[in-house]
Amino acid sequence: MARVATPTAFDAIDPARRLRNLALTLAAIGVGVLVLWGLESVGSAKLTQALALFAVWGVATVSLNLINGTLGILSLGHHGFMLIGGYTTGLLILDEAARQRILTSARSTMTEQTLGISVANLLQSVGLDGLTTPETLWARYLIAIFLGGLLAAVAGLVVGIPSLRLRGDYLAIVTFGFGEIIRLTASTRLFSAYTNGALGFPGVTSEFGKSVWWTFGVLAFTVFVISKLKYSSYGRAMQAIREDEIAAQAMGVNVAYHKVLGFVISAFFAGVAGGLWVSWLGGVRLDFFLFQLTFFFLVAISAGGTGSITGVLLGTALVVFVRQYGDPLEESYAIRTWLYLAAGVLALAAAGAFAFRSLRRLRPRLHWGTLVLAGTAALAALVAAIDPAFLEGSFRGFGMRAIFLSVLLIVIMVFRPEGMIGRAEFSWAALLREQRTGPTDEERAQDAWLSNPKLNAGGAGPRDDAGPPDDAGPARDEGGR
Amino acid sequence: MTVPRSPTAAPWRRALPWLVVLTLVALAVARMVYLGSVGERFNAAFFTRALIDSIKLGSLYALIALGYTMVYGIIRLINFAHGEVFMIGAFTPYFLFTLTPYAWPAALVMALILAYGLLRVVELFRGSMRDPVVLGVAAVGFVGLAFALASWSWPFWAALVGSMLATAVLGLSIDRMAYVPLRTAPRNSLLITAIAVSFLLQNVGLLAFTNRQTPFRPDTPLTAPVSLDVGGVAVQTNWLLVAIPVITLVLVVALTSFVNRTRLGKAMRASAQDAEVAQMMGVSVDKVIATTFLLGSLLAAAGGAMWGLNFGSLNQPAIMGILPGIKAFAAAVIGGIGSLPGAVIGALIIGFSENFLTALFPRTPTFLGITEFKDTFAFVLLIVVLLVKPSGIVGEDLSEKV
Amino acid sequence: MAMLEVEHLRKSFGGLTATNDVSFRVNEGEIVSIIGPNGAGKSTIFNLVTGVYRPDGGDVRFQGASIVGKSTNQIVGLGIARTFQNLRLFTQMTVLENVLVGQHHQLRSTWLSSVLRTPGYRRQERAMREAATEKLAFFGPRLQSFRLNQPVYVLSYANRRRTEMARAMATGAKLLLLDEPSAGMNPKETAEITQIIRRMRDEGGYTILLVEHKMNLVGEISDRVIVLDYGQKIAEGSYHDVVHDPLVIEAYLGKKATVDRAEDGEVDGASDPADGGIARPTVGEGVGDA
Repeated sequence: MARVATPTAFDAIDPARRLRNLALTLAAIGVGVLVLWGLESVGSAKLTQALALFAVWGVATVSLNLINGTLGILSLGHHGFMLIGGYTTGLLILDEAARQRILTSARSTMTEQTLGISVANLLQSVGLDGLTTPETLWARYLIAIFLGGLLAAVAGLVVGIPSLRLRGDYLAIVTFGFGEIIRLTASTRLFSAYTNGALGFPGVTSEFGKSVWWTFGVLAFTVFVISKLKYSSYGRAMQAIREDEIAAQAMGVNVAYHKVLGFVISAFFAGVAGGLWVSWLGGVRLDFFLFQLTFFFLVAISAGGTGSITGVLLGTALVVFVRQYGDPLEESYAIRTWLYLAAGVLALAAAGAFAFRSLRRLRPRLHWGTLVLAGTAALAALVAAIDPAFLEGSFRGFGMRAIFLSVLLIVIMVFRPEGMIGRAEFSWAALLREQRTGPTDEERAQDAWLSNPKLNAGGAGPRDDAGPPDDAGPARDEGGR
Repeated sequence: MTVPRSPTAAPWRRALPWLVVLTLVALAVARMVYLGSVGERFNAAFFTRALIDSIKLGSLYALIALGYTMVYGIIRLINFAHGEVFMIGAFTPYFLFTLTPYAWPAALVMALILAYGLLRVVELFRGSMRDPVVLGVAAVGFVGLAFALASWSWPFWAALVGSMLATAVLGLSIDRMAYVPLRTAPRNSLLITAIAVSFLLQNVGLLAFTNRQTPFRPDTPLTAPVSLDVGGVAVQTNWLLVAIPVITLVLVVALTSFVNRTRLGKAMRASAQDAEVAQMMGVSVDKVIATTFLLGSLLAAAGGAMWGLNFGSLNQPAIMGILPGIKAFAAAVIGGIGSLPGAVIGALIIGFSENFLTALFPRTPTFLGITEFKDTFAFVLLIVVLLVKPSGIVGEDLSEKV
Repeated sequence: MAMLEVEHLRKSFGGLTATNDVSFRVNEGEIVSIIGPNGAGKSTIFNLVTGVYRPDGGDVRFQGASIVGKSTNQIVGLGIARTFQNLRLFTQMTVLENVLVGQHHQLRSTWLSSVLRTPGYRRQERAMREAATEKLAFFGPRLQSFRLNQPVYVLSYANRRRTEMARAMATGAKLLLLDEPSAGMNPKETAEITQIIRRMRDEGGYTILLVEHKMNLVGEISDRVIVLDYGQKIAEGSYHDVVHDPLVIEAYLGKKATVDRAEDGEVDGASDPADGGIARPTVGEGVGDA
């Protein structure tokens, strides 16, 4: 019999493979470090910023996917957790100069007491003065984001509780509500002593948020924790809850515990992401934590593939790319230019529709809708070329990036809901083609023998008569995804 | 669409929401009396203002909430994009009464799009566009519409009707393009798509109007001022006080009659109870869903136009639809999702609580008031209702068979 | 002390009484079958015993202690597991993963230990896999090797049923509630599953309570049979006794059937037990070899 491959293995069971995987991972990390260092040295500041943002948002999306993908609960309140983490970290790490500025500003609502909340003061009160020097800012920052994550985790606990009673759409709305409540409440008088209300506070150090080393380090840690969790027994239990909550309960899984656990862990990392985010931005403000943030994360995980962490990271890269490099779209251009652009997009859509129908063997290939798209594209290009008088003037592309991402998400949901790479996860086993989901030739022959009564008339008993072989054709799934 | 009250709920459970409402009303009245005795400002006129605003706001929310409740009743989807449909329903009349007459090319294009949209709607219900009568009417309509857009300065009532039609077609298009392909997809995918559509519309609005406010002041008798005499004090308001509830009432009655008396309405009620079985009985659930989106968007557009009249201006499109949308959804849930009267009841509750909360806890020297929490309140109420009694005031119990 | 004691169990849904004063016991090592016409409330009993529904009245005792009010996963921890009438597998997960989920509640490591992959966790993971593979081995070579890593949705219907049973066994339960284990199986598969159920009791030491419609299966392995109709227990006893009970015949075939049979002289046990049951086809899925 052929060897047994470890199923959906992220890491192997037997020690030899584990050692080999460890060696490969370390080597890969080494290569990654070199690449990052190279990019950082020769790349522009914009590139470094984009890389750092990728890592910061990667922490958020990977943690969001623990709930949305692994647990199967659509959670729309991630920006709320990031807010809590961001404000906490921001306040804790703010330097003295910035605090003074806020204190003396006329419109600020923070008190001397609340401005006194800082990691530095905390450390001094326990006698760890050594960690309050400028050189040890990194240690204080680490403590600050950890505390931010912790506070966000508490919020995750609160948000997780409705998940025990609600399902699907209702739960999604409740999580959305929580996200908005957190943001709306942060602006009210109740908390403005801590949050400075609508003003927020600038002056958070960018040393860590914009550093590829810090951000990728935290990302690596996040990916480690989340992936190890996902590919453990707890992860299986969470996936079981996603597949069929009632059946999971009937098999002994404590559904309540696992749901809340998922929320708490996810919220913790969201809080950490928030702490990185405010450092990347260099300040804290309420409108850094709008629902738009969660929406971008949704696009990232849906585009990449909710079933795998690799996919989520790919999707995040896409979204960050659009955000960081898409600003030319939001400039002001002549209407002619926009018409040409529209013509181009429509032509692309027509080509895409044609390709889609050809690939999926749908007839007719040249659907009338495709013709309409192509026709409109041609018309737009024609009008732009003629440049009639009423096309004078220019037009600013406000919100183009968001439009692009929204359309992208709709297209993905309609045409490829499993995302770019579906459930395929990167692992050494997969790369080295160790894992098989189909039979070897030998096994196929055995299966045929087992199921063909004429072949085994010689000796096999009725117990071996299994009926038609199972993989008689790729059976698509019957419902859940 | 009205679903029978659950016969299995214990009597105290069914009475609970009414008891809560009565208690709250009693408390509110007590508080009003107290405030009246404490400050001169809090006289009858002050509370009459709040009452007027509540009625208007409640009616407007009802128009939006009905769309949410109908769609959820049949396909169990929270149509995130509905708030944006409401927003578009508010901006379209602006286009029609401000910018008309249009230049010929623009008028032709707009008339073509609208005529084509209506034609497709007819096709949906009659099965085919090739009927010469239909095509003839469409052609005439197209020409007439183009003419009207190019040479007439539209009055408000015409803009309202035009907007309602156009928004209805838009609402249906959203369903056809984004939701129909996902009929068999898992729930989460559909919800994510709805969110994406909502976001798309918000940003298209942002593209068109950037982030400024848009004034909404058509010349219409509905906004003519009216002075009420309440306990000796004059309260300034306008005819919208009557117009909004009346128009809402007319629309709601029309909708309810449609749902309760026509065949298609019966099909809608059947699909809301059990879409699968309805289909087996020969109901075209697809047409039912299309009708639902049409009607819901129609009402939301009316709500949008009157919203503009009421406030005199429109917020920037990217944010205008969000809060009213959520509050209307909360209203639908509180009243009992899937139930038409429930949506109206819930909307009135939200409208009243929003205005009376700020009125009952106003800014005083010792207390800064709770205006800040006005919006949070809707969210909190929504979450509380979902956790305590998800079937709402009128609604049914939805649970899974094992 | 019986392993499972159900006493005066009552459950209504609105106006419908699904379970009406049902009492029975299942002793350790027994195979007890519950039969009855459709809608008699058989699955409801399962749901009541496993804590999915809360009974309106009566008691359910497992190994002497009442389990009413406990949550389903707690009950699994105590030793009761079930399969479902309409199959509830985790379709996107592999066969092995499905069965491993059954093992999860016995895991002694915290989530942190599993993230850190401590030696303790690794040891338990290995043990869980061995246990899971062993349970799957009960069904012969067809759920082995490459099949373990196949997602469940490629499996044939019969194999899915077997996977579900293996998953229930993997929970480490002592009492298994099997809800129509042979539903949708052809006669050869049914015969096979009959043997497997018997082996589960003989070799695996499980106590089994099953709901079934196929009389040949019921007749072949049941120690006792309980008959439900309209939520009430109308007969209990050995298969042979139950099958000739006039009340049971009436429940399935109507009163005229009992009159006819009395006229034909068959009521008093004169029919041949080897023919597998009632001479006429039952309301359920068919008798003997289809």
